[in-house]
Amino acid sequence: MKEFARWMVSIDRRIIFLLIALATLLPLLHPFGLPIKVSPEVRGVYDYIESLPEGSVFLLSLDFDPSSKPELEPQAIALLRHAFRKQLRVIGMTHWLPGTGLADSIFSKVATEMKRESGKDYVFLGWSPGTGSLVISMGQDLYKAFPSDYAKKPTLGMPVLEGVRNLRDVTYLISLAAGNPGIEMWYVFGKDKYRFEMGGGSTGVMAPGLYPFLRSGQINGLIGGLQGAAEYETLIGQKGTAVAGMDAQSADHFVIIALVLLCNVFYFVLRGDKGRLA
Amino acid sequence: MPEHLIPTQALIGAWVAVGLTLFIFSFLYKDNPLFKLGEHLYVGISVGYSVVVVWFTVFIRLVWQEIAKGNYEPLIPVVIGLLIWTRFVPKIAWLSRLAFAFVVGFGSGVAIPRTISSYILKQIEDTVNPLVTMTAGGISLNLDLANPQSGINTIVLLIGVVSVLFYFFFSVEHSGAGYVAARTGVYFLMIGFGAAFGYTVMSRMSLLIGRFGDLKTFSTADYNYATLILLVLTIVSLAVWEKTRRRGL
Repeated sequence: MKEFARWMVSIDRRIIFLLIALATLLPLLHPFGLPIKVSPEVRGVYDYIESLPEGSVFLLSLDFDPSSKPELEPQAIALLRHAFRKQLRVIGMTHWLPGTGLADSIFSKVATEMKRESGKDYVFLGWSPGTGSLVISMGQDLYKAFPSDYAKKPTLGMPVLEGVRNLRDVTYLISLAAGNPGIEMWYVFGKDKYRFEMGGGSTGVMAPGLYPFLRSGQINGLIGGLQGAAEYETLIGQKGTAVAGMDAQSADHFVIIALVLLCNVFYFVLRGDKGRLA
Repeated sequence: MPEHLIPTQALIGAWVAVGLTLFIFSFLYKDNPLFKLGEHLYVGISVGYSVVVVWFTVFIRLVWQEIAKGNYEPLIPVVIGLLIWTRFVPKIAWLSRLAFAFVVGFGSGVAIPRTISSYILKQIEDTVNPLVTMTAGGISLNLDLANPQSGINTIVLLIGVVSVLFYFFFSVEHSGAGYVAARTGVYFLMIGFGAAFGYTVMSRMSLLIGRFGDLKTFSTADYNYATLILLVLTIVSLAVWEKTRRRGL
């Protein structure tokens, strides 16, 4: 047993990479359809959007870049589909400069799919510098902060922005964030001052740090990582890449848990052999 | 064009994406020239893209077009920004302090009150929730663990906050009752770190799933079997590189 344990703890790490690759790839090729349970955090966002009357102003800030695309793009797509289906007026923007092109393509893709028109049903404002200062500027005058949208069309007079002067006229805001600037910045400089309701979506890495904000009611819902996106896709009844990835996620977790348990077993077997490991 | 045919630019994009993904994944074998190529392209393209977007969004849209309209307000931040460059001219380097003073003064003034309100006051307010609630039927203590606002969770939260704070209180020796409190704080911290690490693993796996999902999509006939062809080419290139390297040694 000790020999086997010694051989296992000095195993080539590339074998572990291969195991993880197989655990990811096989469920993607042959999904086994594990059930997805919707958490109260994700339901909080869904229920609030569901309760909004037609024509409400919904601001979706895609605060991420392509490196977080696998987790946050499915969230953005699901939220946009929900908002367009509810006939909300959608304002899009990003605080992350390298994510501007990705954010624009997400808006264009979902708008085309849902037959929505730029300037009339939604507007993508793009990126502008300032982060916190930009939020304050938007809180004072949206048109000074963004005189034109991403397609260089003047924002003043756009039908989708009718009656919207600043952030006080936004009904609901969601920031999908991969870091800072993101949810916390929107809360600190936006919601706390201009009093709109706010929810959040984040990468899995960030989610535990946002729970204090959720608990205290500073945000009314949180979509965490790919799992959160899969839950939202389930809620809107339109399955996408997040639901497709859930089987692979479960298989990966199973392999990791098994490896952690095995490592602990080998550790206890070799506890007296300190210094003799390869 | 037939409906199923992928546009040329999307096809090229798919091949580039697959190639670069495989080049980066090749690092799992070992550091190699393909990985280096992918890494350098990533850095270069990110910076180049940022420079172009900043130029058009900030300088052209927010400064140049506004000045062209007769609005000279943007010249104030432009001048303040230019003052930072005086750092490179020793004789007038002191002028840069004006710009830094503005940045620090404005930043602190804006951030401090908002941060105190959001991070401290709101969080303290939530930490001292009432333990019992007065209802029509009298006083009640909610023991539902699933409800974050229940009385039992208020107790857990209070013990957690106090014990963790006590753990970081180094002026008193952690012995006796103090040891129990500090030790409790350690357990709360470990649970917190465990949850954070679990989420991190989930997040990293999600990124891998995302890349694999794309590789799967681009492996079909619609994309001319980009994944399969480039996978074979990458493996052959790595084998040739390894053979050449070993011969060189």
